[in-house]
Amino acid sequence: MIDVTIVVNGETRRASVPPETTLLKLLRENFSLTGAKLGCDVGDCGACTVIVDGMAVNSCLMLAGQANGRSVTTIEGLATRDRLHPIQKAFEDNGALQCGFCGPGAIMATKALFDENSDPNVKDIRDALSGSLCRCTGYTKMIEAVQDAARILRAEAAAKPRQLELSK
Amino acid sequence: MADEPKVLERERPVVDEALLRANTDQNLPAVARRESVPDTLVPQARQQTGAVGQRVTRTDARQHGLGQTRYIDDLSLPRMLYARIKRAGIASARIKRIDTSAAEAMPGVMAVLVGSEIPVNSFGPMLQDQPVLADPIVRHAGDGVAAVAAVTEQIANEALEKIVVEYEPLPAVFDPVEAMRDDAHKVHAPASNIYISKVIRKGDVAKGFAKSDHVFEGRFSTQMVEHAPIEPHAAIADWDANGRLTVWATNGRITLARSDLARTLMLPLNRIRAIGTIVGGSFGGKNEISQEPVLALLSKKTGRPVKGVFTRTEEFIATTTRHPFVMEYKTGVTKDGRILARSVQLTLDGGAYCSWTETALGKACILAAGPYRIDNIHCEARAIYTNKTMAGAFRGFGAPQVCFAYESQMDDIAKALGIDPLEIRLRNVFAEGSPSPTGQVLHSVVVKESLLQAAARFGWEARS
Amino acid sequence: MKAFGYVAAKDVGHAVALLGEHGARAKVLAGGTDLLVELKFAAHGLKIVVDISRLAELKGISIIDEGLRIGALATHADIMRSPIIGDMFPALADAAHSIGAVQTRNLGTLGGNLITCVPSMDSGPTLMALDAQVTYADGRGHSQVPLAELFVAPRKTSLGPDGLLTAIIIPKANFAKPAAFQKFGLRKGQALALVNAAAAFWVDQDKNSFVQPRIALGAVAPTVIRAPRAEAFLEGKAITDEVMAEAGRIAATEAKPISDFRASAGYRRDLIAVLTKRALQSAYARASNKVRESVP
Repeated sequence: MIDVTIVVNGETRRASVPPETTLLKLLRENFSLTGAKLGCDVGDCGACTVIVDGMAVNSCLMLAGQANGRSVTTIEGLATRDRLHPIQKAFEDNGALQCGFCGPGAIMATKALFDENSDPNVKDIRDALSGSLCRCTGYTKMIEAVQDAARILRAEAAAKPRQLELSK
Repeated sequence: MADEPKVLERERPVVDEALLRANTDQNLPAVARRESVPDTLVPQARQQTGAVGQRVTRTDARQHGLGQTRYIDDLSLPRMLYARIKRAGIASARIKRIDTSAAEAMPGVMAVLVGSEIPVNSFGPMLQDQPVLADPIVRHAGDGVAAVAAVTEQIANEALEKIVVEYEPLPAVFDPVEAMRDDAHKVHAPASNIYISKVIRKGDVAKGFAKSDHVFEGRFSTQMVEHAPIEPHAAIADWDANGRLTVWATNGRITLARSDLARTLMLPLNRIRAIGTIVGGSFGGKNEISQEPVLALLSKKTGRPVKGVFTRTEEFIATTTRHPFVMEYKTGVTKDGRILARSVQLTLDGGAYCSWTETALGKACILAAGPYRIDNIHCEARAIYTNKTMAGAFRGFGAPQVCFAYESQMDDIAKALGIDPLEIRLRNVFAEGSPSPTGQVLHSVVVKESLLQAAARFGWEARS
Repeated sequence: MKAFGYVAAKDVGHAVALLGEHGARAKVLAGGTDLLVELKFAAHGLKIVVDISRLAELKGISIIDEGLRIGALATHADIMRSPIIGDMFPALADAAHSIGAVQTRNLGTLGGNLITCVPSMDSGPTLMALDAQVTYADGRGHSQVPLAELFVAPRKTSLGPDGLLTAIIIPKANFAKPAAFQKFGLRKGQALALVNAAAAFWVDQDKNSFVQPRIALGAVAPTVIRAPRAEAFLEGKAITDEVMAEAGRIAATEAKPISDFRASAGYRRDLIAVLTKRALQSAYARASNKVRESVP
């Protein structure tokens, strides 16, 4: 068994697991965070996508030991009690979620995109979503949802009070 | 008659006025006010109701976006075990011997199951020709031959390796046309490999061809396709102390599921509860049982709930697929491209078991001539057993395959006659009141309008 | 997956010692994107996984005396983002970008891609066209060899059981050598290459001719290969589309592509000719841009 300590959605979590445990299994079974899904187990479908130290990764391809000491964000860490994350709202409003199984993975891939690029063009969006397979939506609605969410987030960022100016 | 109160008025309850005020202390919503009900609830053809065109959000999208939707693999019951099924890995064989003793002896393995233990080892929506676990004949490489339930999936996987199966390889047939020959290996011996056939006849194709200026022949084929839903097939089986079985499954047809479970387990229908949960994609692939009876029997043996989740490999080899078709089209046309006769022969590669083949074959037959006004049609279709993954229901149910054929041939005809591909279709396409190949009179026909609108929108005229 | 042990290596020496101790029953975990798939499908008989993913000494992309040093643990994402690589070897960034998808590029390492050693590897051809060398550590110490010597056969490198790839070095003489990478797969993303090709050459400005041309091909032989006859043909010739097309045709004859369910050998040969020509054209366009940029 190996001991791992991981900050998951801002909370320090610990577990003692067999070394061959993947991060996906750790999240789903030890931490009861079932948002990340098992779709293929070989890093092709992206349904298991979570963000580790700021990077979108396939959690089915990471060992728990590799994730030890790192910070992980899952779909459960996006919304707060007060509101949905704009990405979740945009996916919902644009019909980008049908069966929903690929949803958490695609949404986390989108979050990772926005953390790096707040104004992605369609090519950037396609690139960011290329690791998230969807059999229901045909991707068009997802791309529109990502564009919507980007607009909303940029507007929110622009509306924030300019602290530097005020402190002069 | 005019004095008779309208049924809807009479049945409307008298509403307590007190209930109409919102209870603000408890933040309860006010009871809905009485709305007037329209005089007629019968929708008129070609008239839109107020609902059409409204923007609607899926009610389950909220949960999906939050990652809160509970699919089968997100569910867990106390003391639950994990099942895995051993796949034959050989396309055609007789099982001579199965030795599960080494697997059973493994710590953590709670039960093992083989085909001979299934009370009634056959199921299927039309023909009950599919075994729950092969015994003794294996008909495709994805056939299950044994199963285990263990305390972890890892132990279950290792237990599968310890099950020893001795096979006597049998001849196999993989091509549907070859499988139709008298000397071909019979997948379900002694029955013929040709297991369903249908013919649709309208008018007289011989006369139609005789009157045609040109006759075109073509052979078209399509490949086997896997639904590949992102969520694999999954199920959980659990018994209660009163001998009632509950099955949670990614199964869209739970009435059929109960029926197949009742049959295979020899259990009265009223002892079976099937819960079809939110599914992560099906597209027709989750229309019948697969592992449910296996899980039920393992659960019965162990006295514990048993969960089974297919691997992605099993999704490809052990779940239904779209039928490969071989299609021969013979079409007679006038020199203006008007279709006078169409004769079609469809050969469906059904794989090892029937599944929903009858429905796919029927639909394909009816749709094979295409959405075109043709007075003389002959369509003959047959489904063939081969030693491959079974073909079953997949959105379209035979329609996509024939569409590929008739539209490809339409383009061939247009090119040969020097007629614009859109124009030749406009000359032939269904109109209001056209009869289908089976004689159904069609209404609300907007094929022409749709084609013209589409052509205008994507600039058909502007092509080079 | 079957059970195995796990150790996070403290440094390169520790990793090499563990690999030496366990031999074939130990495997190196860098990004894990190839290893975990292998472990999930093979009856691996593995005793221990040696996690090197945190070793700082194997990370980084920097200029050293010898040339450009890319640490074995540089991920494909790191390579895509590196300003040095973007400036001097954009073809390397293109190759990295063609691998898998965002998620796999964030974890997958250059070293891992080279060590997995499949003929269709996307990182190999460009490095080979740039005369790359690799450094590695094992029980005997540290060594450096040309990249071509690393590749022995499909999934077999020249490293012993205790060998650990440490860095990839592109010689200083090739800094900013115009190069390009081309890949053809059955999809635009998450696709294995049916054929990939890289080309690099200097331009003699006066004669507008090829200088020190290099062509490397992947997925068309047991390992990534050079196309020496095509290179010899190009050396000194005027740079024209016809010459580049002819080089492509020659390169196609130097490969040994197989027929498999993805493509026939004949189709692959056609692809070699086309991709080689395109790689040459693309490298030439880069060379021309650089000349234009430097003209005041």
